[in-house]
Amino acid sequence: MDETALSHPGPALLADEAQVRYGPVPRELGGRAMPPGSMLLVDDCFLLRSLTGYGYFYRKGEGVIVERDDDVDPAEEALWLNGSVYAAIASINGYLPFHASAVAWQGGVYAFSGPSGAGKSTLAAALGQHGLPLFCDDTLVLDVSDPDKVLCLPGHKRLKLTDQALTLTGAAAQEKVAPMVDKHYAEPVAGTLRAVLPLARLTFLELGEPVEFAPITGAERLARLNDDHYTAELFAWAQNEGLAARFARIAHIAGRVPMQRLTRPHDPDRFAEVTALVAHQIKQEGQE
Amino acid sequence: MTAMLVKNPKAFSETAIDGEVVLLNLRDGTFFSLTGTAALIWPLLDGTRSRTALLAELARTHGEVEAVIAPDLDVFLNQLAKARFIAGA
Repeated sequence: MDETALSHPGPALLADEAQVRYGPVPRELGGRAMPPGSMLLVDDCFLLRSLTGYGYFYRKGEGVIVERDDDVDPAEEALWLNGSVYAAIASINGYLPFHASAVAWQGGVYAFSGPSGAGKSTLAAALGQHGLPLFCDDTLVLDVSDPDKVLCLPGHKRLKLTDQALTLTGAAAQEKVAPMVDKHYAEPVAGTLRAVLPLARLTFLELGEPVEFAPITGAERLARLNDDHYTAELFAWAQNEGLAARFARIAHIAGRVPMQRLTRPHDPDRFAEVTALVAHQIKQEGQE
Repeated sequence: MTAMLVKNPKAFSETAIDGEVVLLNLRDGTFFSLTGTAALIWPLLDGTRSRTALLAELARTHGEVEAVIAPDLDVFLNQLAKARFIAGA
């Protein structure tokens, strides 16, 4: 563990809360029928029923019940559990799931956000070639209760990469994620760091030319954090977060975390150049 | 106009960041960003000044002629009033 890691109850709490047992899950929640293909969070409970035969029911303090039909794809179970279900568990327990992948360096977390397909996972994994360990893939769980800093809880998802991303990042391919998913689980070159660390910077990935970093300032910082990803919605439901509370939460993060955009082309031939620039920037900042 | 310009805090949430004042309209979730002179005027809307007094104060502190800055001030105040962020405009 990193020597700068902070003592924090979050990782153990979430690990306990995500414990799985198997059994039947409810068919309704909060008086609402829950057919396959639906999910709902009510108070301290979350129910998800997939179209593919899986059901997940979580109640705070009681762990997760998983129900599965006889003909399900076993590989799919972890995808739901580590995706929507874990995001709901984090939210109900007061932690904010944020759509980002991240690396760690010198006691800080450097996160990359952007829409699905923006290259978050590939960039974070590739930074392993420069000695930066992966911190999380796809979901960054934040503790925003500290008045002075935004804390990051260690990632819970295994890294998933396409064949092209495996080549670009040098990550070691492991088993296929699922028969219908065109990705493999992977281990990044510099490994994965599991510690609670402050969020040092948030970079939003954008496509374009030239390759450049540009700071994000003022109102745009809040607008960028006004994320409509489903994970943010889960947090809002779980915390009964109205507009004013959501704004206060976004302002809290915006006031404590430097932000920038990284513009770069979607060009595999220039990927190594961009990755080296990002690694250089992180290492420079880590020395300051 | 002699009515005092006063904020309606039930209509918005606000924060200051990087020299900007950012307002959230609590009716519809839209953001307003106040920069430059607008950000300087915002704290002056504290219920102690009428539009006339505010105009005079801005003209004096910025070395401008009231008639020159009045149109821009009125546009700004009307925007705030339309969003129900202030009363008295």
